[in-house]
Amino acid sequence: MTEELKVAVDRRGTSGAILYTKGYINNVGGEEIASRAYELMEGDVRSLLLNLRETKIVNSIGISILIEIIEKMIDKGGRIGFCCLTPVIHKTFQIMGLANYASIFTDEDQAVKEMGLAS
Amino acid sequence: MHPFADFIHEMQQLERSPLASQGSLILDAFTRHTRFDNGALYLRDARGSELRLAAKSQQCVAPEILHGDAQSALQPSPKVVVPLQSNREAVGVLALAREGEDVDDDDVAFVRAGAAFLSTLITNQRLLQETREGDFQLKYRLWELESLYDIGLSIASTLNVDELADEILFRMISLTNARRAALFLRDASTGGFTLYRSFGDIPADFLEQELSEGKPLTFENGTVVAVPIKGSNDAVIGVLAAAERETREGGIGAFEENELRLLALFANQVAIALENARLHRQALEKQAMERELELAATIQRDILPKAIPQMEGIEIAALSRPARQVGGDYHAFFIRDGVLTALVADVAGKSMPAALLVSALHAVIQLLFAEGREIGEIATELNRHIHRWSAENKFITMIMVSIDPEAETIQFVNAGHNPAYMITNGRIDTMKSHGLPIGILPQTRYLAQTRPFPAGSCAVLYSDGITEAEDVAGEEFENARLEALLQEHVDCNASLVRDQIADAVDAFVGEAPQKDDQTLVVVRRA
Repeated sequence: MTEELKVAVDRRGTSGAILYTKGYINNVGGEEIASRAYELMEGDVRSLLLNLRETKIVNSIGISILIEIIEKMIDKGGRIGFCCLTPVIHKTFQIMGLANYASIFTDEDQAVKEMGLAS
Repeated sequence: MHPFADFIHEMQQLERSPLASQGSLILDAFTRHTRFDNGALYLRDARGSELRLAAKSQQCVAPEILHGDAQSALQPSPKVVVPLQSNREAVGVLALAREGEDVDDDDVAFVRAGAAFLSTLITNQRLLQETREGDFQLKYRLWELESLYDIGLSIASTLNVDELADEILFRMISLTNARRAALFLRDASTGGFTLYRSFGDIPADFLEQELSEGKPLTFENGTVVAVPIKGSNDAVIGVLAAAERETREGGIGAFEENELRLLALFANQVAIALENARLHRQALEKQAMERELELAATIQRDILPKAIPQMEGIEIAALSRPARQVGGDYHAFFIRDGVLTALVADVAGKSMPAALLVSALHAVIQLLFAEGREIGEIATELNRHIHRWSAENKFITMIMVSIDPEAETIQFVNAGHNPAYMITNGRIDTMKSHGLPIGILPQTRYLAQTRPFPAGSCAVLYSDGITEAEDVAGEEFENARLEALLQEHVDCNASLVRDQIADAVDAFVGEAPQKDDQTLVVVRRA
């Protein structure tokens, strides 16, 4: 399994985007996600979905960074969603409080529909 | 707007982000809203006690760390030095100066009031940060406990070690903030450690170092840690290793005490998972073996005579007690042309290998008798066949007797078997071995020996499970007890003789377990 996190961006309309992550969300991986997310926020993206289908591990530093991204998006009046989480990551997000400030969806279709992300 | 209200508004705008990182903006606000035109701002680190330079004006010469009095440490010398003080602690120092002209009391009062407001802001921010950090740590502990609990549930619900190993490794990496981790298991054949699962590369060369002592070891300044996994007998059966613990500052640090403790807990979980899987594997193997033995026992039960043959003028009684589900004893009867042939054989070994040889013996004997051969020839052919088709260490001891009531004779072949007994006219005689056991040498020839066997004579054939039956003290029943019994019952019918011997053996053995198959055949001429 790969250690390095890879991020792919799919812009959805003018104010939406999906970030696809592959690999470990740790400090390095979290910063990579943050950098892409902040870039998108600067570009007026206010609905950001993170598809974690190919991420099996997230550590506490990665979670801190995800919380910062969520807070920044809330400050900008936007919304963050997560989808395709492994059961372990889903539970981790619930325990660590991410689920209180971000939406968690089972699959991408549901997330796209509920977050109003254009296809 | 009043200048001070303006200043407060600016500070409130800064409040949204950490003030410690906004030193230059704060200093700039003070110099813009007052007549001070340079200065320095020192803030105390939330974790440390040092006053560290957060911002300074270009013309100000200021040390990075402020020791002692700011008045003398800064150039130009500040006109006002205001401690940033909350009710709890000193959070910083603000020093402001103006080149050329003096400042008035209003400026100083402005700075003091602004500094008081700033102190409160910084303190509030730090309290908020501490609360958030505490909340995060609490949730993190809950995450840790939930993870261990979930692994326990997974261990209880699956015996798939591959899945469990992945889950344990992933959770361990998450909770220790490690960048790399691996699970090594000891290879039973080589005794060394082999990589079972990994996330990133971890070299295995350190594994042999002192891990046999069963204590966690750290390498490379604590950035690599290896925790032994102990099996049920306390032996090290594997190693859980982690490397490169990430720090919040973005670097790599040594694993801390609580992380080592956590790794040890994960190692215990792996040990339980491996032990459960091993026990399950053993149980499955045992079940499979028991099924095989049961099947073999069924086959062997079908091989042994289901009923005693009836022949006029001859009483026959038999006893067969296998020591395990499948035994190595065999007996058979044949009646041909008014002659009864009885045989007792004992195959070397026990369980499945013995049962297979018994099956071979049974098939060959049946064929040879069907061909009408006499017992010496049958033994010779049987020996050739068993020697050719069986493993080298396989052999059979066998006693075979043919009783011809018309000729009043008994013929016997004893191939390495216990001496059988013949009771004629109240006298006990033996039919001793006169050849090698079946299957030892290919050219062995067996010649039948003939003795008189008048009416009232009795032949007693048995396997060594009778004479070597042990009591609880390990003493054997022995031939002497058997002979004494026969002496007492020389005139009894075959069934009674069999029962007396069986009862005597049982009484002798008592509670001791039966170690060998027991076979007994009694044939008596009425």
